[in-house]
Amino acid sequence: MIRWSIKSLFSEGPGLIASCTGVAFAFLLVLFFMAIFSGESDRITAYPKQVDADIWVMQKGVANMHMAMSQLWDWKEDRIRAIEGVASTESILYLNGVMNISGREWFSYIVGLRGRPEHTGPARMHSGKPVPARGEVVIPDVLARLSKLKIGDSIQIVDRAFRVVGLSSGTFSMANSIVFVSYDDLADIMSAQGSVSYILVWAKKGVDSKALVRAINNRLDKVNVLEQAQFIQNDHHLAMQMGVEIIALMTLIGSALALVIIAFTSYAIVSRKKRDLAIARAVGFRSRQIYLGVLVQALLLTIFGFILAALLSLLLFPLISLLAPEIALNLELAAILKLAASTLLVAVLAALWPAHQVARVDPVSVFHD
Amino acid sequence: MILRLTLKRFKADRLRFVFMLIAIAAVIALVLVLEGFRAGIYQQIRHIITSRGADIIVSQAGISNMIASRSVLPQLSRQWVEEIEGVSRANPLTTLPVIYNHSNRRTPVFVIVYDTLGGPKQIAQGRGIEQSREIVIDKSLAVIYQLRVGDEFILSDYRFRIAGISENTAAFFAPFAFITYDDLLDLYFESDIVGDISTLPLLSFLLVEIRPGYSAAAVAGQIEKQIPEVDAWLPQTLAANDVDMSREMLGTVFQLMIVIAYVISVLVISMIMFSSIQNRVHELSVFKAMGFNRLRLARAVILETLILTLLSLPLASVFAWLMADLIETVAPVYLILSNQPELLLRTLVAALIFALLGAILSLRTVFRLDPAMAFRGS
Repeated sequence: MIRWSIKSLFSEGPGLIASCTGVAFAFLLVLFFMAIFSGESDRITAYPKQVDADIWVMQKGVANMHMAMSQLWDWKEDRIRAIEGVASTESILYLNGVMNISGREWFSYIVGLRGRPEHTGPARMHSGKPVPARGEVVIPDVLARLSKLKIGDSIQIVDRAFRVVGLSSGTFSMANSIVFVSYDDLADIMSAQGSVSYILVWAKKGVDSKALVRAINNRLDKVNVLEQAQFIQNDHHLAMQMGVEIIALMTLIGSALALVIIAFTSYAIVSRKKRDLAIARAVGFRSRQIYLGVLVQALLLTIFGFILAALLSLLLFPLISLLAPEIALNLELAAILKLAASTLLVAVLAALWPAHQVARVDPVSVFHD
Repeated sequence: MILRLTLKRFKADRLRFVFMLIAIAAVIALVLVLEGFRAGIYQQIRHIITSRGADIIVSQAGISNMIASRSVLPQLSRQWVEEIEGVSRANPLTTLPVIYNHSNRRTPVFVIVYDTLGGPKQIAQGRGIEQSREIVIDKSLAVIYQLRVGDEFILSDYRFRIAGISENTAAFFAPFAFITYDDLLDLYFESDIVGDISTLPLLSFLLVEIRPGYSAAAVAGQIEKQIPEVDAWLPQTLAANDVDMSREMLGTVFQLMIVIAYVISVLVISMIMFSSIQNRVHELSVFKAMGFNRLRLARAVILETLILTLLSLPLASVFAWLMADLIETVAPVYLILSNQPELLLRTLVAALIFALLGAILSLRTVFRLDPAMAFRGS
């Protein structure tokens, strides 16, 4: 019976191809949604990762960077630097803001750099200089490409014009491109002279970060002190949690669509092969065996669709990121496996209705024609 | 003739017909939901700005957005604006992005601090703010964290009591919350960040009400002319700026998702039509044997597809409504406007075009039918 169901499935030809591709695209839509949220969550943490501090110090009540606002007095950095075990510190001023480039507005993380930073500036440069002076800005290379900007051109941040002096790599994101300006410029824009947003701390070799966190907490009031890993995790979780419900719902909708397509295909085969099924029942095949045959068809369709979706995602997602660099797509194996598990349920559910049809096939009907 | 026979076949095999309608409706519903998702995001942004109740919104000079921007106005700007002819009152408003942290979950919340204008308009449960330490939160926060009126709501270590739960107060994937200025100052002091209070935003925007008989555009022009430190916007212009920015951010993503949904539509429709043709191979070969040419057969298949697509649209609309309702119930931070007439019409036209494409894909089988099959039995 299983051989019959496989053969009848493959005899569908173009119909089978259309069904499999339809199922694949339904799953692809779900994978695309998952990849978008994961990709953006990764990009959101790109800056803290590249800075690679041991400890982040911020305003009390703040525990991350994405969509957060933190301000501290800058003298707190001097206090931290004086703590034993601290090798070096750097601080940044930071603003979630909008840049105007040739009439188009881009949401950005604007980072104000102090002095000649070793770590807090762009980690990789495409071209130009990495540390902007007053009136200068370093923007992501992707943003420059999308806005047709080159070094020497002007952009506007709030009410000021800035000259592009450098293009950084690995700093672009759909939700938060990282733009570097001088501390003084950003402090003027924010009316925040004398304050910083985050103080970044590097520990001396052999000094335990946890102990240093405790030491900073003991020495300073009204701050939140976090190790790098925790800080990054907070940002990543925040971004992923923002999408958790919609990803679940899109998985549900995509799976439901796949279910309809699979159920229809199985139903179409069953209704077309009613005569074959009647013969099978007349010669003594038990209902259980016939149900199994229908389930195998649904399973095969689901598996083919899912494999095709996975292959398409491996092929298309890098292509999409290449053609539309503003979109970050990151497909994690765990996400694929999770969807794979749910597809099995889809196959079982999709087989229910055709199986019901099979149950209604009368073995005697074979002798009627 | 062929079409009449097809319609009779639909009647005879109702179950199959219903299944076909459901499958086509499901893919059209997916398109409607994705389109509605995009329309909902833009509508939420527009609504949150235009429903603040101002005739003109004043921002820091150079700030042309409300939701995503940090605007800081000089403290005296309120007085300066109220001195302009035609201005009835300038109401202060501060926006504060904060991260709400509860039960191991973090959610970015835009807090709107208001005084005389700009508070929540639609309160679904409870009431507006009447006492100190009260807050009105968006429905999505209440759903995510299972909060009710009267519950405690801690922001930056400051304890609020939920006075009301508002509707239509989320935008840009984030919920809004409302507090008053008295509590903003207490929040700054009691949340133990007093040492750095001078660096915190106190006045972001002014919601300007104008006197009867004055034109909002003219008064806005006067404000900008006389006070160089500020920009003055008509609410709909400011809202359009935020919508444009979100289009820049999300436009390509939505476009891609909608393209995928349409590809699914084409595939599903061609699958359905292929299956329908397979079921009537004998019947169609009889037509061929009777001398019906390819064009007539193709016309019948295409017409059948278009009829099926047209008939599935009401069902698609119901499916889309159900999906939208499910999304809005589970995640009320989203608004899905899937049943707007303009959207329905656009999707109908697109669906018919894609149905046509789906039908054309399945025509090859019809063209390859051997008329001799008519004489071989079914």
